[in-house]
Amino acid sequence: MNKLHVNAAYCKGCLICVEVCPAAAIRPCPMINSRGYTLPEEDDMSRCTGCRLCETVCPDFAVAIETDEDGGE
Amino acid sequence: MKKHPMLKYLKEEAAAGPRLPLILCPGCGAGQVLNYALRAVDAVIQEDGLRKEDFVFISGVGCSSRLASHYLNFDSAWTLHGRALAVATGALLANPKLKIIVFTGDGDAAAIGGNHLIHTCRRNLDLTILCVNNGLYGMTGGQVAPTTPFGVRTVTTPYGNVEDEFDLCRLAQTAGATYVARWSTAHPHQTIKTIQKGIRKNGTAFIEILSQCPVHLKKTPAEMFRQLKKSTVSLKKAAAGRAGSRIPVGEFCDIDKPDWITRYQNVIDRLQSDERTHE
Repeated sequence: MNKLHVNAAYCKGCLICVEVCPAAAIRPCPMINSRGYTLPEEDDMSRCTGCRLCETVCPDFAVAIETDEDGGE
Repeated sequence: MKKHPMLKYLKEEAAAGPRLPLILCPGCGAGQVLNYALRAVDAVIQEDGLRKEDFVFISGVGCSSRLASHYLNFDSAWTLHGRALAVATGALLANPKLKIIVFTGDGDAAAIGGNHLIHTCRRNLDLTILCVNNGLYGMTGGQVAPTTPFGVRTVTTPYGNVEDEFDLCRLAQTAGATYVARWSTAHPHQTIKTIQKGIRKNGTAFIEILSQCPVHLKKTPAEMFRQLKKSTVSLKKAAAGRAGSRIPVGEFCDIDKPDWITRYQNVIDRLQSDERTHE
């Protein structure tokens, strides 16, 4: 199954990734982090198709999707 | 942890400490434009066999111009307000083999640097100009700009803007740019393809990218993203008269004509051959 990696040091919680996800596989985290931002988190990653649209639109270079082809790096 | 694939083109650490996260506000479109531009550059590097050293990024002053300030792991120059194109002209004439990408904002390109933009397009210099248009002066506090649409409330137009906005794509096309396109940050794949085309184009490529300023327009980034999608229409539909009040996006022109360097080289070659026949 694909995995969502969020770099908490770079993410500013704009949640554009959640907005663009065509499969609704990610959702806003209900807890804010120590910097006051709402980060995205995995919802149901079995729906993730690996289109990487969240990676493409991320303004802060914080979101990365790890697919099975990545070989679990 | 897997990292974002475009971080390989950014400097995360430097002597003075960490350089990321970006200084931009949460949800700023300028960060997205940097992401799209790096993806396009990545594709050009891999497909055309270019090196990282062949690219130079130049910017002026403004929110979008912070992109070339100190994050890129490329050669870059952060220049005077509105004068990015003048510096880019100098860099190109010094080394015509460079692929120069200029990050500029709407205040930088349309207001203070308006004449530089017109004459760069007229000369048809081989540059790729990425104009991040958020429709106001973001860095100074959200004042009205030449590109603010009619009726939009900003801090200096609290009852709505009474002026019409500047259509930069039509300006660049009229001034003589060979490749002119407009997309928004809500069109990621189209923007990446267009920037690739602009880099490969031999001549001025002016690409306007409509962007969002969630802080000064007081909306969430997701709302602004949806609004950008709704308020744009393809050029084909606009030509058929179905645009209404929406902004046309797409390729405005893609023509072939010799750029400034080619014409100047022709003059040099002609004069040198004349000299040889006289000897």
